[in-house]
Amino acid sequence: MSDNEHGRAIDLLTRRDVEGIADADAQWLEMHLQECEECTGFDRALSGTANAVRSVTVMASAGLVESTRARVHLRAEQLREQQARTMLVAISFCLGVLTSTLTAWVWWKCGAWVAERLGLPSGIVEPGVLLFWLLPAIAIALVMVIVPPAKFEGSILHRFLNDRMGGMQ
Amino acid sequence: MVATAFSSLITMESEEAQIAAGLRRRDPDVLDALIEQYQHRLLRYLAHMTGNRATAEDLFQETWIRVLEKGHQYDGKSRFSTWLMTIAHNVAIDHLRKRNPASLDEMRDPEDAAPFEPVATGLSPFEHAAAAEDKVRIQAALEELPAIFREVLVLRFQEQMKLEEIAKLVGIPLATVKTRLYRGVMALRPTLGGGAL
Repeated sequence: MSDNEHGRAIDLLTRRDVEGIADADAQWLEMHLQECEECTGFDRALSGTANAVRSVTVMASAGLVESTRARVHLRAEQLREQQARTMLVAISFCLGVLTSTLTAWVWWKCGAWVAERLGLPSGIVEPGVLLFWLLPAIAIALVMVIVPPAKFEGSILHRFLNDRMGGMQ
Repeated sequence: MVATAFSSLITMESEEAQIAAGLRRRDPDVLDALIEQYQHRLLRYLAHMTGNRATAEDLFQETWIRVLEKGHQYDGKSRFSTWLMTIAHNVAIDHLRKRNPASLDEMRDPEDAAPFEPVATGLSPFEHAAAAEDKVRIQAALEELPAIFREVLVLRFQEQMKLEEIAKLVGIPLATVKTRLYRGVMALRPTLGGGAL
């Protein structure tokens, strides 16, 4: 009997119970097992192992399930808060960019007018206008980073976002 | 018969899709139901992986937290149980790496000696004692197996997973799964005494 036949028999035995094998393969396997002590031994060991593994029972206690649920709920709440805060930062950032962009032309003209009145060189005025233009976005970003999340609890926007996210669920 | 199979396939697909949608929303009710449904299977898998009930319980909780956090990654196209076991596998691997980066075999806690409870069979007291003794012996042999073999055996025989699913879950080639299965079975063979279970 060749190694190929043993290999095929072991492969079929391994696949027989879960994936299933074709009728022709099952017939060939049955004939092979009648003649091959080695593969019959593997078949017995396979069944024995399956029974041994299945005989092990591990039951989760009600306490474990309850505490897991409580932890999962708490974490879900934290994630919702985090999501609301991220949304808050994103909205603030977008508003900052929008207002800055819309007012850019006005500030640039203002800067040019002030520079002309005071006779300042453009090397000072242009970076100054740029900084002034970016100031709202920088201020918002700093506030969002520095101020702890708890300070936002109960704010109108926070409540609005929380309600929306709660509603989505 | 084909219609029944098709209908059950559709039911399974819609069920998995519902789970995926629930996980994307981080719906507490969906998570509660999943914890309820998979509690024993997941704990059993982790207990086999770690060989320690207390560690398995910690990892059980950690797994569900990760399911919550990574729920949006589940697309509902594969079986939820396979995805859950993949998460559990990764949680167990991370636990091992934190403890000892050497090998998966180190996952078992040496101080843990309590065997798992055998299933009650309803035999006579003598037969029950003999069967229990056999099972304790076999379970001890199972626990002695390196975790990489034990994991494949558990996924195959308790979870009834296909070889391809196991390969995907564990992240190893199909041929390696077959080798581990074969070597795991052969390692238990002397204890099984010719399969007289």
